[in-house]
Amino acid sequence: MKTFEADVVVIGSGPSGLAAAAQAAEDGAKVVVFEKANVSGGAANMGMGPLGIGTKQQMDMMVDIDLETAFKQFMEYTHWRSDARMVKKYFENSAGTIKWLEESCGVEFAGAYKYFPKSNASWHIVAVNGGIGRNGGAIMNKAIRDYAAENGAEFLMETPAKKILKDEEGKVCGVIGVDSTGEEVQCNCKAVVIATGGCGDNPQMIKERTGYTFQGDMFNFAIPGLKGDGIHMAEEAGAGSTPMNVEMMYILPNSDAGPDCIPAVFMQPNLMVNKLGKRFINEEEMQNTTFCGNAISFQKDAIGFSIIDSKIAKYYMKKGVDVTNFVHHPDDVSDLLEAIENSIANGNPDVVKADTIEELAELCDIDPEQLEETIDEYNDMCDSSDTLFYKPSKYMKPIEKAPFYAAKFRPGAYGTLGGIKINEDCQVLTADWEPIPGLYAAGTDTCTIYGDSYMFLLPGNTMGYCLNTGRFAGSGAAEYADEN
Amino acid sequence: MGEKVTLTIDGRVITADSEQTILQAALDHGIYIPHLCSHDNLHPTGSCRMCVVRQEGVEGLVTSCITKCEDGMVIDTHDETAENVRKLSCDFMFKTHPAECTGCPKYGKCQLASISQYVGDTGRKLKANPINVKADTENPIILHEMYRCILCGRCVRACEELRGVGAIKFDKVDGRLRVVVNGDSLIHANCRFCTACVEVCPTGSIREHKEIMDRIEGRTREDGYVPCRFGCPAHIDVPRYIRFIKQGNYAQANATVREKVPFPHSLGYICVHDCESECKHAYLNEPVSIRNLKRFAAEHDDGEWKKRAFHKPATGKKIAVIGGGPAGLTAAYYGAKLGHSVTVFEAREKLGGQLRYGIPSYRLPRETLDREIADILEGNDITVKTGSEVANAPSLLKEGFDAVFVSVGTHDGVRLPIPGNDLDGVQVNTDFLRRFETGEASVGKHVVILGGGNVAVDCAGAAFRLGAETVDMACLEAYDAMTATDEERAWAEEEGVVLHNSRTFPEIQGENGHVSGVVIQKVGNFRKENGRMVFDKLEGTEEVLPADTVIFAVGQRPTIPMDPEAFGLELTHGNYIASKGDHGETSVEGVWAVGDAVTGTRSVISAIAFAREAISAIDVYLGGDGCIEEHLADEQVRDPHIGVIENFGELKRTAPRVVPVPERVRDWQTCGPMDLGFDDTLASCEAARCLQCDLRCDLKPQKFWNDYTEGGV
Repeated sequence: MKTFEADVVVIGSGPSGLAAAAQAAEDGAKVVVFEKANVSGGAANMGMGPLGIGTKQQMDMMVDIDLETAFKQFMEYTHWRSDARMVKKYFENSAGTIKWLEESCGVEFAGAYKYFPKSNASWHIVAVNGGIGRNGGAIMNKAIRDYAAENGAEFLMETPAKKILKDEEGKVCGVIGVDSTGEEVQCNCKAVVIATGGCGDNPQMIKERTGYTFQGDMFNFAIPGLKGDGIHMAEEAGAGSTPMNVEMMYILPNSDAGPDCIPAVFMQPNLMVNKLGKRFINEEEMQNTTFCGNAISFQKDAIGFSIIDSKIAKYYMKKGVDVTNFVHHPDDVSDLLEAIENSIANGNPDVVKADTIEELAELCDIDPEQLEETIDEYNDMCDSSDTLFYKPSKYMKPIEKAPFYAAKFRPGAYGTLGGIKINEDCQVLTADWEPIPGLYAAGTDTCTIYGDSYMFLLPGNTMGYCLNTGRFAGSGAAEYADEN
Repeated sequence: MGEKVTLTIDGRVITADSEQTILQAALDHGIYIPHLCSHDNLHPTGSCRMCVVRQEGVEGLVTSCITKCEDGMVIDTHDETAENVRKLSCDFMFKTHPAECTGCPKYGKCQLASISQYVGDTGRKLKANPINVKADTENPIILHEMYRCILCGRCVRACEELRGVGAIKFDKVDGRLRVVVNGDSLIHANCRFCTACVEVCPTGSIREHKEIMDRIEGRTREDGYVPCRFGCPAHIDVPRYIRFIKQGNYAQANATVREKVPFPHSLGYICVHDCESECKHAYLNEPVSIRNLKRFAAEHDDGEWKKRAFHKPATGKKIAVIGGGPAGLTAAYYGAKLGHSVTVFEAREKLGGQLRYGIPSYRLPRETLDREIADILEGNDITVKTGSEVANAPSLLKEGFDAVFVSVGTHDGVRLPIPGNDLDGVQVNTDFLRRFETGEASVGKHVVILGGGNVAVDCAGAAFRLGAETVDMACLEAYDAMTATDEERAWAEEEGVVLHNSRTFPEIQGENGHVSGVVIQKVGNFRKENGRMVFDKLEGTEEVLPADTVIFAVGQRPTIPMDPEAFGLELTHGNYIASKGDHGETSVEGVWAVGDAVTGTRSVISAIAFAREAISAIDVYLGGDGCIEEHLADEQVRDPHIGVIENFGELKRTAPRVVPVPERVRDWQTCGPMDLGFDDTLASCEAARCLQCDLRCDLKPQKFWNDYTEGGV
């Protein structure tokens, strides 16, 4: 067995673990990080940047969002079903964290942006070669890791932690893991930060803790390796549990690897119906992936069909899409029909094409008579106004010309939220609200601030929560280690 | 080897071999240069442009994976142009590779993602030009999602050059270069399923199916890649001995098995072969017939391994072994080889435990068993006391033994508490099989066996051989869920056993004190809850099986001599010995207990594996190093170049030769073992089916930039 000595052990190296490691190392602690994967950054390598409130970027860009407004908006949105002290502390520190990322870690930001028109410009997009692009999260994570390493943090890659050790007094005293050759690795330490990113890759745990059935009514990203390790280890060490939830959104489960034009077009405010053939949402809200995910989740068999006709398809192909967001913003979608044909030919079940509405209903298993009726009504409303859900007229485009196309949207999620009970200092608490000496947790293993739905009006929220709680946990752990 | 040269990379002066490339030299010294098409086991092609560097005095950039080190070279890996070229190359890869990582099972272990993170690519601005190809999930082992392919060609080089198979190749499809299967399926392309392509693929393009990945989740690389060896409780190096057999080196194959177990030949007859349950060939058709290959190898034992066996000098320490079954004899064997003086106390007349008194001789010839026991005892300081029961295990410590090893097994058959269980004609599995061995057993004309495991099958076979006209077998489990192995169940059926699956047996009926029949009843919803069998009885399905003999074969309990309390060890429910550690430690210091008496009835191979661990722990307790590893077989060179075998994936499992039914039952006392195993031809056919999964371990694991950072370990 290999043994290491440290003040602070961090379990996991997504943004929460990296921020914890970097902060603790900056504060003078000797840090060792256990990471299961070969790549640092976790799910956030797919992300684009964190939330910040009251940052230099926002001031430069004349964005009108301050701490009080954001806090009030957040608490109203969550109906105060949230730890207000944590939310306040997180928002209050978020600008400092953006500054820390820039000045200490060397992260560059392209600016502060909205995800979609109704949201606030709280999303600090990491610059990719000076501008906006993919891969920003990965670049940020590398910068934090490099900063942590500069301050002496050691990273044990492909070495999942298995158990948190406690001494006779109940204080945390070490972590046992296993390296890629199967050899046990023990790191003795004074404090541990758990940051393992939830259990998105553990269908059984998702079922038990959130009630969703993976690939039944929930098509979340199953980030390989996210098995709920940290939650289990914390519980084994005496931690109390919190209810768990997912960061709801909606997706075409089989179209991730395909061309961007398909999700981009079908996420437009088109006609959306459920299996009964009825509309269930003001499709303008489809920009808000949380709200739309919630709405689809509420329908029969948790499925929603976005429908267009050939005229609408041609319109998008010629003019481009009406609504863009940061993730789906193709410059042109002129390859749409070709992409649909290819998708169907390749057996992608997400997209269908039909010559009649009846055939479309059959391919989607929608009530055909009701669908015809809904489309007739909808087409009538296109000439007047949407008296059902008040969708703006500019998005009311009749469904008339064959062939027709539909995409089958399902509830999705980035991953799970919550599990480990903590306070606003990221100390892990027992079920009786007593801190476990030396045990800290951060990130999505602990995130219950959203209440029932992800707070999309302040984008960058989860990465922001992860980085900030990571820093709280890192500084708390370093201070505790220093005093004990 | 070339000459020693000195060069400077990023300001560091390093020495390298002139045969090394700049990339190799840099990596050897912990200096990371991104590289993607390059792989340690494959010849470099210099095609991905990731490893370009600036060489002082040379115009343009140098491709470091194909440029040999020269004395005095000055290299800058962080040159701005080089970094821009890498970014651009990365961008080009993302033209075809999906820009979103969501849904990719390789996430977190993807070399492309890692390199993209390292170089900080330009944001995938180039217009996407996805490879329009369907996922190919037809093959049950390897799946292709070639829309993730970045054309690094590592898989093609691994298959063509390293393996000499060429099941995949580059080809132009619709005017675009692609990696394709060299035929209409991997099977027809004569794929050898060595999974080298999976190992070297940097992205999620070529992978193994989720079922396989899930199965190896959490295992080490070696354990995950070589499942048969992992599945064997004693971790016998299965691919290694199969390769020896293929080479015609049968004695070396046997020596390989010998490295882990002292009963290779007996196991060749009767092992429950957990290795075969793990064998990946099962995904193609059926697992490799590993047990029969082991037996074949054992039949060619030349005894040469004895010269290499370790024998440590006498320690003066004494070990008592209670119970001379497979666990006890394994402990005695290694204990004596470690230099300790061993005394085996065996309650029965002869050594062998379940191998002798539980497994009928028509399945395991006694000359084989006797010879293996003789090999164990030969030249070793082992005293055997048969007919010798030990009433209290810890008392032996007071009698001068330094450690006690308890392996009393489970020789008490379970008689279920149902009406009629004590009628004349009702027997119990263990007694019945023991008396079958000693020639004292008898049955009537109509026998009903209660139970569906391997022991039940042995009872059924023995009953036929004793002259039963009909044998019925009733068990709770459904046909496919029976605990008897498929092979043994098939033998029983061949011999005429009538199976009554998913049945409970509420009552044994009798007339004048003698068995007349068994009431059986269908069950539904059979499941285990908290370790207990739970089921619903289906009303109106009762029927009576007429019988004059009933044999319970529903489990076995430990034989704790005389008074369990007086045995001196803490017991658990059901008289099993309570285990206090991972290696058989008991409630009393100096006393270890292993085998079925601790774990419940398992298998011979599990008992042997457990005994090896315990004897190792005992040796440490007695002041030794606990090492019982030995190298009895020659070193084996694994040739990575496995070449083409036509229709390899369709080769069918070789059936052993078996004595046909009338003879093997009628003449069982004279015809020898019913299972005749393999001859040279059959063994060589079967050995050729091995996928050689272990070859994958010889490929260097992919490394990532964060494996080279100074903060890294």
